[in-house]
This record gives sequence, C-alpha cells and structure tokens, in this order.
Amino acid sequence: MPPSLPKEGRGPSVPSHPTETPDAAGPRRREACWTEEVLPTRLTAIRESERKVLARLAALGYGEDHCFAVRLAFEEALINAMKHGNRMDPSRQVRLAYRISPDRVELRVADEGAGFRPECVPDPTVDENLQRPCGRGVMLMRSYMDEVIYSANGTEVRMVKYRASPVRGFPKSGRRC
Amino acid sequence: MKVQVRQEGFCTIVSIQGSADVGASAALRDAFLRAVDAGATRIVCDLSKTDFICSDALGVLITAYLKAHGRGGFVRLANPQKRLRELLATTRLDHLFDVFPDVACALKDA
Repeated sequence: MPPSLPKEGRGPSVPSHPTETPDAAGPRRREACWTEEVLPTRLTAIRESERKVLARLAALGYGEDHCFAVRLAFEEALINAMKHGNRMDPSRQVRLAYRISPDRVELRVADEGAGFRPECVPDPTVDENLQRPCGRGVMLMRSYMDEVIYSANGTEVRMVKYRASPVRGFPKSGRRC
Repeated sequence: MKVQVRQEGFCTIVSIQGSADVGASAALRDAFLRAVDAGATRIVCDLSKTDFICSDALGVLITAYLKAHGRGGFVRLANPQKRLRELLATTRLDHLFDVFPDVACALKDA
C-alpha cells in the first residue's frame, strides 16, 4: 500500500497514475490543484516527474533561480525517500504530491520506510563532515526551500517555496541533538 | 549530461556539460572512476557548462577528491557558474575544493 501524505493533501483515493485533486482550501485558490503520483522505488523514475514539475514552473513564469531551488529540493526529497526511506526496496513505493501556484510551489513526499529524526542528521557543513560523500539532502532542502516540515515519524516531508522569497540557498542545517 | 575527459600534461580535465542530476550521477561516477583507475591523481573538473548538480553528484566529486588526495593529488573545480558557486558556498564544499575561475588557472602549478 502506498504511503500516506498529510491529510491536507490527500485525494479521494490512492492513484496509480498521476491525478489532480481539487484544492480543499476552497474557491480562494481554486486555480491550484494537487497533482499526486505514486512512484516506484527507482531513481530513474524521478526524472519524468521532475520534468513535469519544471514545465509547470516555466509555464507560470518562475525564474531560473527558483527552478533550480525547487529542482534541487525535489530531487533530494525523492532520493532520500528511495535510498534512505525505502532502502531501494523495489516492493516499496514513494508517494509524491505537488501543487504549483503563481505565488508558491508546494511539494510532499512520503516513503514506506521506518522513518528518521531529521534533527539528528549530522551537520554536513562542519569541517569534520565536509569529506563525507553523502548526508547533504536534508540540509539542501532546508537551505533552498522556505518551509520544510517533516511528519512526526519522518516518513513524510512537506516543502514550500514562495515566489516572493529570496532565491539563493544558505546554510540552515543546525543539528539540534 | 555529457562528460568529456581529456589529458593536459599531467592533469586530467573532466568537463561536465548540462545537468549532473540523479539520473546522470552514475555516468559521472563511472567517468571519474575510470580516470582514477587509469592513474589520474591531478584532476580538474570543468564546471563552466554545468547548470545543475545534485547531492549525489557532489558525492561523486568528493569520492574522487578522496581518492586523488590519498595518492598525493587533487581535484580542483574550474569556473562554476553563479548557482553552482552558491551551492558550493551553501554546502561549504568551497572549503574542501580549490575553486578556480577557469581551467587555465586551475592548471597553473599543477
């Protein structure tokens, strides 16, 4: 069974193909719909979804800096879900939802793993961790997106990038335990 | 993404054109591993035509750095464009890699 997303973004049923669901927020933002996809745990599956997200950003006139930021966070979230969440187990799936409005980009990614505590991921920007080849995904998502919120068990992440926000990333890693 | 590897004196130049994204990092890893396995220890990575790089691809560069450094060599980065320079600053990898404005500068004293 595909992993669930936060209630706010759930459609009426689990889609096996991309679907669009009405915005539960009502008529004020009726133009923006959630698109939901269920991806296999396969890194090559990321590209097609990424292409669709970037095409929608371009259609709404988002600049290259915003596209870079969203693309980076999008890839990092899906890589993390597949590699660290689902541990590349092909029997597990990743559930993706995105809503792209003129003023913001919202992404949600949920895996079927055991979860983790993002605040306990070692800070990759400190000197002793600079030579580690991995472990930068969460930091990059936090640096390039305006909001990054994990579910309590760490299997789901919700991210927002506002059009009006600064475009460049800056370290926001801050290990807290 | 297109990766070109060429030799200049004792140095190996690895040029990455396009996006070093998750779908391309395996090819990038192969290119660097082939160069290192062939004995390259002085590597300059030309980023002048690289428009995107994900953390997986950054990991490839770091792995190549560790292998080259372990043999007394280096991996230098040449001419990263604005967004990549910011990414290197954000990750503080500009403290790990020496970054040069172009390949010619990176080859000096190599």
